[in-house]
Amino acid sequence: MVDINGTLIAQVLNFLFLVFILAKFAYKPLVGVMEDRKNKIASDLETAEKSKQDAEAIKAEYAAKLSEARQEAQTILDTARKTAQAEHDRIMAETRVEQEQFVASSRESIILEKKKAMNEIRGQVVALSMIAAGKIVEQKLGSEEDKQLAGSIVDGILNK
Amino acid sequence: MGNTAAEFPQEAATASELIAYYPTEIAPGIVINMQTMYMTWLTMAIVFLLFFLAARNPKMIPSGLQNVMEFFMDFLNGLMESVLGIHGRKYMASFVITLFMFILISNELGVVIPQIGGHWTSPTNDINTCVGLSLTVALGVYVVGVARRGLGHFKHFISPSPAFLPLHLLEELTKPLTMALRLFGNILAGEILLIVLYKLSPWIIPEFWVMFSIIIGFLQAFIFTMLALTSYAIVFAHDH
Repeated sequence: MVDINGTLIAQVLNFLFLVFILAKFAYKPLVGVMEDRKNKIASDLETAEKSKQDAEAIKAEYAAKLSEARQEAQTILDTARKTAQAEHDRIMAETRVEQEQFVASSRESIILEKKKAMNEIRGQVVALSMIAAGKIVEQKLGSEEDKQLAGSIVDGILNK
Repeated sequence: MGNTAAEFPQEAATASELIAYYPTEIAPGIVINMQTMYMTWLTMAIVFLLFFLAARNPKMIPSGLQNVMEFFMDFLNGLMESVLGIHGRKYMASFVITLFMFILISNELGVVIPQIGGHWTSPTNDINTCVGLSLTVALGVYVVGVARRGLGHFKHFISPSPAFLPLHLLEELTKPLTMALRLFGNILAGEILLIVLYKLSPWIIPEFWVMFSIIIGFLQAFIFTMLALTSYAIVFAHDH
């Protein structure tokens, strides 16, 4: 049952043959695919991690840009409001000044016109009165004193 | 072994011979156990087919047989990496994986296939196979050691001091011997007990022993491979 014989040598050869055959035909492709898979999983994980980091960076960048834009918009709005208010104030002030000038000049010209008209009327009335009075009292009232008298009378009437 | 197993003792020369090796003199002075030879070839064919079918069209996403073989390879690669280091694993992988698969299939052959009848034995129930494998491992240590480290490999015989030389020499002899005898004893005893159990009870009880033997077959293959790895560890110890 425990005879050592030629089988021993044959078994060693058999085994070495099997090692050779398996190493050549079966072992390499299997190990290759296992290594490939290992590398692929590792690189996939790495890529995924990198993509995640990139995405987070982009997200942060976008958020920063968004808040910046919002701030800028707020600034623009504020400036516009301020400018509009200033323009509004300026126009209002100008208008008021113009209006006042216009009113003042109008008043002046009215007074002037009135004075002019009054002078004219006075002249006419004096002349008219002179003619009327002359006609009525003939030459009798042709002296300077009479004219002055008549003038003072007309003045008294007009200024009433 | 079933019914046919009972016939073997009558064929055998003595009543103690429960397992027949059919030794044949193929040339003057050279005797070969033909039963062991046939079963070894069958084992080799099965191991080769398993690996060949799994590796014929290896896929990135494994399934079926490829999954099973990758499980064994991953298991052994892990062992090798822990004992031999990464360089050692790459160097020894095909040898160690073949060793494990060969012993595993050998061990299971003698307990599983006899359940369908016929004279099927494990190649590892022959002392020649076990000694052959353990000698291959032991001599392989010298070959790989000298190939990788030159004659400096033999320095470990006189470490930590030359006084340890006899102990190292004794170890070099006993290690292959114990490895061979442990495997041989376990497998042969398992098969003999199976035959005896079939004589005691034709059903149920032997089946429990078959299940147990399947576990023993795996365990012995693992132990043999592990011991082989530890004897190679000295070669790759400096690569760590």
